[in-house]
Parts: sequence; structure tokens; C-alpha cells
Amino acid sequence: MMQKNPIQGRQKLAMKKIAKKNNLQVTFSKRRAGLFKKASELCTLCGVDVAIIVFSPAGKVFSFGHPQVESTIDRFFSRNPCLHSSNTHKLVEAHRNANIQELNAQLAQLLDMLEVEKRKGEAFEEIREAGRRKCWWQAPIDELGLNELQQLRIALEELKRNVTKQGNQVLVDSSHCWPFLAANGIGGGVFPFGNEGYEMDPASSITQMYKFGHQGLF
Amino acid sequence: MTRKKVKLAYITNDSARKATYKKRKKGLMKKVSELSTLCGIEACAIIYSPYESQPEVWPSPVGVQRVLSEFKKLPEMEQSKKMVNQESFLRQRIAKANEQLKKQCKDNREKEMTQVLFQNLTGKGLHNLNMMDLNDLGWLIEQNLKDINKRVDTLTKASHSQGSAAASSATMVTPEAKPKRGEKVQAGRSGIEANMDTMQRQQWIMDLMNPQDHVGFGGNEMMLPFGDNNHNALWSNAFFPWEK
Repeated sequence: MMQKNPIQGRQKLAMKKIAKKNNLQVTFSKRRAGLFKKASELCTLCGVDVAIIVFSPAGKVFSFGHPQVESTIDRFFSRNPCLHSSNTHKLVEAHRNANIQELNAQLAQLLDMLEVEKRKGEAFEEIREAGRRKCWWQAPIDELGLNELQQLRIALEELKRNVTKQGNQVLVDSSHCWPFLAANGIGGGVFPFGNEGYEMDPASSITQMYKFGHQGLF
Repeated sequence: MTRKKVKLAYITNDSARKATYKKRKKGLMKKVSELSTLCGIEACAIIYSPYESQPEVWPSPVGVQRVLSEFKKLPEMEQSKKMVNQESFLRQRIAKANEQLKKQCKDNREKEMTQVLFQNLTGKGLHNLNMMDLNDLGWLIEQNLKDINKRVDTLTKASHSQGSAAASSATMVTPEAKPKRGEKVQAGRSGIEANMDTMQRQQWIMDLMNPQDHVGFGGNEMMLPFGDNNHNALWSNAFFPWEK
């Protein structure tokens, strides 16, 4: 893991109750999630049954169980370590495991994609930083003087006119009938496991300018 | 720490599975213990394995009983509210990853478009953009114009409350500049497109292509630039005749 902030990140932690309330809450959230993740992995890798119960600093209770929290707790209370091993039970379990495997694969794929996009974002930031140093109009608007702002405004308005012109040209040229300047906002994306908004055009030619080792955004 | 990434699937090799179980079970118990100590909270863990007749527990059988009875005392709804199994836990993580991915893609698209915008300010063509790109570019330009207008308002308001010193120096310049400025800017605005085809445009591009350091501005950029600070003018000086 890259360490951006020298203060945060991996530190040696004293094994006693965290003093600052905010840090304590954050630590709890992160470690609880990590704990459940580890438990989930143990179940998948070794085929064991678990139950974990955790009370939050605020008094709320979180629990993780495989196959279920309840059944594992009941098993503990009844002091009966033996499980029913009927054929039906085995079938149910097989189904469940196949489902889990699929979900794990989905998650892994999403996390990979997320990593790719994060790196892309960082690269864009670098480009932006370099640009800012060279060209005054690339500086944040708050840093520009009145005269510069006025000049920039004129330039942008000109560009807007050109964009509109080009847009109409594209409409005329192509045989599609897309509504130009449809609902506001930057295009949303199509995501494999959920949908919202319209499709981001993978044929967007400008994405070719930034070669990050894969075609388009997906 | 492992040297190779472990595939998240049931380990079919019996001895490998048992070894993994021992290590990971130990690690899991350690993590529960740390969580409990660091955050000062109650917790328990129960693990049933094929290797032991009795479950492995933390903190102790008595400790587990204690935590479980606390748990059972809570109303049914409270117990199940944050209860997950593998499937629901995975679905939660998938949903979260999806949200993060969407947001990152949206941010990246905006960053990408910003670069396109900058390139087009220096005259790169719009021809290789498709409708989606043009749409997004148009939106981004709008956003920038909004921000600029807001900022210009703020600055002009501030400059109006600047005081007599500013006013007097402004009047020195304006009587002369005003008629010229008025018509020149008018001509400038309406004639922009015409002038763009002339040498003016080439001059403008030359200015832009010439990367000069952004001159730092003090507090006086609010006044009209009858000074010196516009080495990097977007427009050629023909449009601002009062400059030297």
C-alpha cells in the first residue's frame, strides 16, 4: 500500500484502549470489517462453521456467522458439536458454496476495476499538476485575477459555441437521432452489477489518448 | 506474510487445508482479541472445525457464554439488524465497491474532460469527439463559466469597496480608454469569429503555446489592467489597446 500521508498508514499500535474517541470509532469500523473478512475467508478456504459477535463502542451489536449466526450459536448452547449431515443438507450447502464463489469472483473483479480507475485518477492528477505550472488558465479559478477570468470566460464562451456547432454537425452527419444536450451531467457508466444512467460510450476516442493498458473505460 | 496470493476457494488438499486452518484460526482469534482491547468492547468467537470435537472459542467458554447471553437479551430486531452471513456480507461489500467504482469513474471522466477542454482552448480540433464527449464537454464548460461568473462577481464587489485610491487611478485611465474600449470590446466580441480566421488567431495560439510562468498576483488584479501583468493574454493585445 502506498503511503501518501506520513502520519497515517501502518503504525505500531500500543495494545491498549485507544484514547481518542474518533480514532477509536474509526478503528472499530475498519477492524470489524477486516475481522469479518478474515472469518469469511476461513470459512471458504477450510470449510468451517463460525460465529462472531461484536459489540460496538456505541453499544450496537454486529455479528457474522457461517452458515448462520443463529444456528452456530444454538449449536454452542446445545453443546452438541455434531451436525446433521443429510443429503438435503449437503445439497443446500453445495448450492450455498457455489453462490459464495460467484459473489467472491464478482467482488474481486470489482476491486480490480476500482484499482485501475484509481490509478487512472492519479495519472490525471499528475497531468493536471504539470499543466497548472505551465498554463495560467489551468490554475484553479480561485487563483485567477479578474482580468484573467474575463479572458478565460470569453475563450470558454467561444469554445461553447464551437462545441454546439460541432454537435449539430455530428447530428447532421450521422444517421442516429440522439437528443443533443440531453439531461445535464457527465455521462454515467454501465456497471456490471447494477445500472444507473445511460451508457458511457466505450468508443469515446479521447480515452485512447490516455493509454492505461486497457481499451476505453471497461 | 504469504508469498503467493491464495485463491479464495476450498482447499482440497487435506494437509494444506489443516495447516491453513491452524494458522488462520490463530490469526482470527488474535484479531478479535485486538479489537476488543483497542476499542474496549465485548466480543466472542466460536469456530467449529472437523479437527476438534469441541469448538475453538475466544475469549473462553465462560466468556463466550457471557457475551452470548448479553446478545440474547437484546430484542430480536436488534440482534438481526447487523447480522450477516457470507452471502449478505459479500453483497454488502459488492455494493460498496460498486459505489466507489461509479464515483471514481465519474471523477475520472470529469478529469479527462478537463484535459480535453484545456487542449481545445489552445485550438485542438473538436473533430475526434463523439456526441457523448461533446455533451460532457459542453456541460463542463457550463460549470466552469458558472464558477467564473461567481468569482468575477465576488471580485468586482470587493473592488467596488476598495476606496478612493482605486477610483482616482481608474478615472485617470478610463476617460481615454472608455470609448475605445467600448467599441473595441464590442467589435472584439462580435468579431471574434471573424478575427479568429485572421492572423490574430495565430498570434493568440502563439501566446498560448508559449508556456510562461504564471505571474503571481497581489491584491491589485481587481483593477483594470493598465499595468503590465498580462504576458500570457489569451487574446492578442489588439483587443486591449490600453495596455502597453
